[in-house]
Amino acid sequence: MMAPRPYALLAEITYRCPLHCPYCSNPTQTRSDQELTTNEWTRVIREAVALGVLQIGFSGGEPLVRRDLPDLIRAAREANLYTNLITSGIGLDDDRMGALRNAGLDSVQLSFQSDNTDLADEIAGARAHQHKLDAAAKIRAAGIPLSLNFVIHRRNIDRLLQMIDLAESLQAERVELANVQFYGWAFLNRAALLPTREQVVRAREIANAAKARLAGKIDIFYVLPDYYENRPKPCLSGWGQRYLTVNPIGEVLPCPTASSAIPDLRFENVRARELDWIWRESESFNRFRGTEWMPEPCQSCPQREIDFGGCRCQAALLTGNAGNTDPVCELSPNRASVDALLRNLNSSGGQTRDWTYRVNPGTRPVIFGAFERRAKV
Amino acid sequence: MQTPTIAGSAQPTLARGVRLQTDPKTGNSVLLFPEGVLELNETAQDILTLCDGRTVSEIIQALAEEYDVDLEMLAADVREILADLQRRKLIELT
Repeated sequence: MMAPRPYALLAEITYRCPLHCPYCSNPTQTRSDQELTTNEWTRVIREAVALGVLQIGFSGGEPLVRRDLPDLIRAAREANLYTNLITSGIGLDDDRMGALRNAGLDSVQLSFQSDNTDLADEIAGARAHQHKLDAAAKIRAAGIPLSLNFVIHRRNIDRLLQMIDLAESLQAERVELANVQFYGWAFLNRAALLPTREQVVRAREIANAAKARLAGKIDIFYVLPDYYENRPKPCLSGWGQRYLTVNPIGEVLPCPTASSAIPDLRFENVRARELDWIWRESESFNRFRGTEWMPEPCQSCPQREIDFGGCRCQAALLTGNAGNTDPVCELSPNRASVDALLRNLNSSGGQTRDWTYRVNPGTRPVIFGAFERRAKV
Repeated sequence: MQTPTIAGSAQPTLARGVRLQTDPKTGNSVLLFPEGVLELNETAQDILTLCDGRTVSEIIQALAEEYDVDLEMLAADVREILADLQRRKLIELT
């Protein structure tokens, strides 16, 4: 099959992070292989540009953990890429902000857990909120466009309006209100994170009203809670079509969550293969490319080039087979399992449940609740 | 949504953090912005190239000299494209 050209590379340069958000999409178990070096990343950037990539997102983990971040941004800018930094803001002092700006950083997406300090710090499992407010001011002062990202879940969804107000007061140009998607740690913590139907209905009204009210001022992007939808999200605009991810140890993934969600797929490594070959020829990129792989009901569905059968990772996590229709789809034979989950949650009134905080590679997760409850770490 | 009419005296410029550059793969122009890429058609490309401090009226005038089209239609097209770009926060009007 002819491979299309990719537009964006997500560079997950480390899985280390000072925060412990229970909805993190990083794998819950990471291999302890060495992170790619500065030189290796520089080569990956060069190979990505040759493939047609125009944008790069530096993500993680927390990318600021790596001291060579300005060097990587400079390498990307020299290759004419548009550079985004996706960060918690922790570690963004004046020196680092200056170094990133001088390296040519184009834009920053800053994550927030809530507008409320206590709740935000509880969700992050760290005293982080005030640092984020400071980081937002530094980004503004550096003249770099600011996007805010809020991951929305049961514990913060009722504060959607206040979170939008925060974005307005921080003079963000864009705000992403992203209902939690269930991969990695978030999948592990589904029972604690899934909002109730009532919450979802109200949040949608608030998001739509804010969108209209702030049109031309803040660009609001609302990511739907897909378990509550009837049709699946058009994941990645199709597998191996526009995006690729390179993770901290050099594995090249069609989607950042694929390595943990689809363990039976073998992912190639930039240490062993050129990016061009991996994108065009590898089994992992070709397995779900196009429409030929699709089972029914996707194969004959008029929506198949619109939603691409939904999300392969979700199919794998919920049905055990990445080649199935995304079970969120009302036409999927597995939709009943999603409905059962929602029914169970909504009948129990959505009370607070314990979650497992994300931990860094090489450390063991702690489940808070039964023996100990600590709001702040 | 009702599109407010853009004044002829407005000066459109690229919004902060938005870059107009050539896509080395196709030779066409693309707009790059936070987490997005917009591949431009020929009209949009011509308009954005003229967003260098000129007013909307001057942009329409310059395009009218280049293309043999009905001036009213051209002006409507230019305003529609600019309004769309402004809605996406890709240009600013001063």
